[in-house]
Amino acid sequence: MSRTQALWEQPGSVAEQFWRHGRADFPIYDMHGHMGAHNAIYFARCEAPAMDAHLARIGVRRLVFSHHSALMGSMRNAAVHRIVEGCSERLRMYVAINPHYPEFIKEDLALFDKWPFAIGLKMLSAYHQVAVTDRRYEYALKFASERHLPVLNHTWGGVPYCGGPQLLELSQRYPNVIFFHGHSIFGDWDWSRRCIVEAPGNCYLELTAVPGLRGIIERLVRDVGSERIIYGTDLPWFDEYQVTGGVISADIGDDDIKNILYRNVERVLGTDW
Amino acid sequence: MFFDANCQVGLPMNGGAATATIPALLAEMDRNGVDRALVRHINIDPDGAVVTNEELAVMLANEDPAARLCGVWCILPEQCHELPPPDEFFAAMKRQRIGALTLSPGAHRWVPSRLCIGKLMDAAAERRVPVILPNYSSRWSDLYQFMADFPRNTCILANTGRWGADRAIRPLLEHYEHFHVELSTYWVPEGIKDLAELYGPERLLYGSGFPELNHGSTMLSIRHANIADAWSRLIAGGNLARLLEGAQLS
Repeated sequence: MSRTQALWEQPGSVAEQFWRHGRADFPIYDMHGHMGAHNAIYFARCEAPAMDAHLARIGVRRLVFSHHSALMGSMRNAAVHRIVEGCSERLRMYVAINPHYPEFIKEDLALFDKWPFAIGLKMLSAYHQVAVTDRRYEYALKFASERHLPVLNHTWGGVPYCGGPQLLELSQRYPNVIFFHGHSIFGDWDWSRRCIVEAPGNCYLELTAVPGLRGIIERLVRDVGSERIIYGTDLPWFDEYQVTGGVISADIGDDDIKNILYRNVERVLGTDW
Repeated sequence: MFFDANCQVGLPMNGGAATATIPALLAEMDRNGVDRALVRHINIDPDGAVVTNEELAVMLANEDPAARLCGVWCILPEQCHELPPPDEFFAAMKRQRIGALTLSPGAHRWVPSRLCIGKLMDAAAERRVPVILPNYSSRWSDLYQFMADFPRNTCILANTGRWGADRAIRPLLEHYEHFHVELSTYWVPEGIKDLAELYGPERLLYGSGFPELNHGSTMLSIRHANIADAWSRLIAGGNLARLLEGAQLS
């Protein structure tokens, strides 16, 4: 009964590939994941084997995650790395940074070079209630700067710990750090733009919680270019098909979609990690 | 066939970037391959039930000549006589291509209890007219009370909220056989499969959440929910079509 050919039926398109086969002929890099149970939400699939099975269905090559209990509880990063060591090739970890425990930060980062599956740092400043610009993050950020590591921040529009002004200041202060702005400064879309165009070329908007919102990906692509946007799901919070569906049904081109789903990450981090 | 259970149309009171006219909705449906949609007026809360019910009927008559859309009317307490008596009200629904009811007691300042709407809800249950419940994802206690008061009514929870609502919705699915869940904000990994296996695919409905949300994300998650094709077809549109066709409006 549809009046025109739907986007899923466009021959040779990315949307057609996912619709017909459930995956594409290119990989997906999911740069924002978690693991483990959560206090407020029932997660049926929050441990490595079930997460891995979900990722495999849609063709995710890498999920980079931080463990809930390392961010919000007492689990140490060494224990998270041991989980990854016993898993499939798909999982990589961010070292969780809790600014309230500076001795843990130093101890864990001293082990970083011995952890082949750790590829960057994760900061959750709104939950820890310490602004990303606070000096308690300096040790970790200098460490990331020396190694040119990615740092995934939880960001949210209007939140004083991790809003646009704070992230822009941070990216200008540490030009050698690769900043992934988790949730793309959600809801404060003008600051999303400013955090990219006014930064020294070291920042990317990460999309978790954005796909599905009507018109927002289109706006971000117009404002900063798809070369500055990367894909994420918060898995086990959000379903890979829901998030991918939000990206590929946005009114953007297939090149934009490919930039978001894999090209940008491969350009920034390579493929050998 | 995709039949969208959760759309709103009209010009939002406070503007905004999201265009929600009927032509814009039909264009989005065409682009995504959605066949039909159940639509509510976007200004039910600020402009009230009486005005928006009438306006929605006019919009459907004037702007949807192919009759791809089916409307939802908002109810109010019976005692103020702002709406016609049930038989008259349901007959008007049928005439004006309205297939379901909704309510917004918070915005319209009344209590959604048997005291206020018991007769109308009993008539709706008798006639199997679906009731869309869109504003409960942050007020679970109110929804639990509503379902306890009206267990015989065919209810569809729209907008579960994006942040994993299983702890809230599973007890309702378990206890109330006529309770259904619309999926536009149910983003749980493999969650559609889990709910379908636990409570039956008949209890789940595709919805877009237009104009705030897009059509495609939930379409792909249903398409690849890792369930039987027959179940996917029910969730995509078969269930909503069955519920609306089963309603006896006159």
